Amino acid sequence: MKHTRKMSAAAALAITALALSGCSADQGDDDVLRLWHFESESSAMGLAWEEAIKVFEEETGATVEFEEKSFEQIRSTASQVLNSDEAPDLLEYNKGNATAGLLSSQGLLSSLDDAVDEYGWADQLAPSLQTTARYDENGIMGSGSWYGVPNYGEFVEVYYNVDAFAAAGLEVPTTLAEFETVLQAFADQGVTPLSESAAEYPLGQLWYQLALTKADRAFVDDYQLYDGPVDWSGDEITYATETVKDWTDRGFISTDSSGFKAEDAGVAFINGEAPIFFSGSWWHNRFTTEITGFEWGTFLFPEAEMSPGSGGNMWVVPERAANKELAYEFIDITMRPEIQAIIGNNGGVPVAADEADITDAKSAELIGNFNTLTERDGLAFYPDWPTSTFYDELNAGLQELVNGTKTPAEVQQQLGEQYQSGVDDIVG
Amino acid sequence: MSALLDGADLNSEPRTSAIVAPNRRAPKRRSGGPSHRGAGDWLVLVVAIVIGFFIAVPFLLILVNSFKSPTDYNTSGPLTLPTELYFDGIVAFWERVDFPEKLLNSVFISGVVAVLAVLLSMLNAFALGIGRVKGRLWIVVLILLANMLPQEVLLYPLYFMFKEVGLYDSQWAVIIIFTVIQSAFGTYLLASVYGTFPKELLEAASLDGASRWQILWRVVYPISRPTLSVLLIFFFIWTWNEFLIPLTFLVSNATQTVPVAITVLQGDRLMDVTTTSASALLGLIPTLVFFLIFQRTLTRGITAGAVK
Repeated sequence: MKHTRKMSAAAALAITALALSGCSADQGDDDVLRLWHFESESSAMGLAWEEAIKVFEEETGATVEFEEKSFEQIRSTASQVLNSDEAPDLLEYNKGNATAGLLSSQGLLSSLDDAVDEYGWADQLAPSLQTTARYDENGIMGSGSWYGVPNYGEFVEVYYNVDAFAAAGLEVPTTLAEFETVLQAFADQGVTPLSESAAEYPLGQLWYQLALTKADRAFVDDYQLYDGPVDWSGDEITYATETVKDWTDRGFISTDSSGFKAEDAGVAFINGEAPIFFSGSWWHNRFTTEITGFEWGTFLFPEAEMSPGSGGNMWVVPERAANKELAYEFIDITMRPEIQAIIGNNGGVPVAADEADITDAKSAELIGNFNTLTERDGLAFYPDWPTSTFYDELNAGLQELVNGTKTPAEVQQQLGEQYQSGVDDIVG
Repeated sequence: MSALLDGADLNSEPRTSAIVAPNRRAPKRRSGGPSHRGAGDWLVLVVAIVIGFFIAVPFLLILVNSFKSPTDYNTSGPLTLPTELYFDGIVAFWERVDFPEKLLNSVFISGVVAVLAVLLSMLNAFALGIGRVKGRLWIVVLILLANMLPQEVLLYPLYFMFKEVGLYDSQWAVIIIFTVIQSAFGTYLLASVYGTFPKELLEAASLDGASRWQILWRVVYPISRPTLSVLLIFFFIWTWNEFLIPLTFLVSNATQTVPVAITVLQGDRLMDVTTTSASALLGLIPTLVFFLIFQRTLTRGITAGAVK
């Protein structure tokens, strides 16, 4: 009987716990802004938005109920949460057709057109930053109503090891030919110059960048916004695929990179194994804190008017939000120069900062590169955006190219077919 | 030379078994004397060690990287031992997600599910295994569907159901779902255990005038208690490790469980290997502790089931 008593004690405990946790907080207060984002508190955006919350609470007298969510949770549960009473008033959400575009076409996000007019956000955002903020009725980006406001941008640039360049007597290249000379000089020393990863995004972005050196805006609009057919055996893509192959053959890219992840490629640059890493501004903060053994610098890919890049993840307001006006006011505070400067001084890329406010030299270099790009309308988005499966298809194709199991012509024909079938599904 | 050795080996093989066999019958002599293990035994041992090592590798990697600083990780990679113990990763994760709160949530959810699911399994199995309800095979198959369907399929129907009754973003949604899912397996297992329950005992009890309720609690429950405790432990650990359904139903941070909290560290593009390892370690320790505490019950339960 002793055991029976133990069991019923456990049951009683469970029932007590039941009763205790039964109630949950109510919401719908008029002066509470429920805010979600997924940036860590020590990141550039985390710091800036913390300050924005303070300013907001002082100016409006409303309180902010902030919850830090995981990227994974927002990504996989947004469509369910936003369709329920638990929807927050304002959240950070991924830009793109498959994410913000999909939710806007389902009517889960509210159109920000009126707020954009009222607060003048359109004047603060460069045209290529607006692309990811606007979606048409099918959820395809580039036109239609505003559904989001990006606070920060991102782009892909060349990170280089200044000490290694100096030791080899090399200058920062300004043309593609010079860039190849630099790569060749390192290869001659027995060093693989480019830290690459074909298992994840880095090599795909290099491939796209190479195509962009031969491309114009019309090519990007065709490729990303389905404005017209993409010629998969045209100059742009042929040059990109053949150059990746050529660089692999000449030892600029390791054949081992087909198994490397982005993390491996980044770490190889951090520990000085490879002198050059072509990747995104999202690494900047980590390099600043974690590279201690050498000087490093950045430059935009030579001889390219455009580079991969876009507006960052953005503020969206759910259709079922209780306090939309407060959400708009908060967005407006995050667009102010002083908040944007916090993003800029902590390794982020602000979209509307005053360059004079950026005091940190490394950050100024990063933001300078970004502003150069946006001024010449040079953000070309990412190669995997057009269809939901193209990320894996592109990586698989480039792995085969690097391994030598397929020729450039075979790879780009295969990619072209995969791209087209994906696009046909979307456009219909 | 090698031929000689091979021959010797071949000869020794039957002799060893001849020596070992009587040893087993006379256990006192067992500890003394050299042990004669054959090549086959050594092979099995080596294979077991290798398999054991591979099973332990992920855990060892977590352990090693949890105490490594990011600089250390960048210079030496994931496979080397840390040069110095570094606790910032663990502390950072602990504070960032308010770990004690998540721990309490997990213990609460898993504990309630384990108790309720065992209770429900026992009642179901009593009806199916001892009560011999008609069409019990089909009932068991139907119940098992809850276990066999992938959770992704259940997700949307469950979401709409719980939203209708106002339990979305409540721990009770998760508790109800897992009580049902776990008890499906429990019912299946217990029903077959109860199917072989000694009839004499049941008959004796009803001859003494015991009602069904009394038979359940006075006869069936005490005898099957070891099996029930094993189920309790399994349900607890399985529920603890669940991810997808808690992720969907626990919207507010204050209600979330440990595995859901761990995802906070996975960014859009960047990952923080050392802090992620630290979080994995923190998430793993409670189940390990729970298992070690109840490990004796577990083995007892299994042997009790085996010996009739």
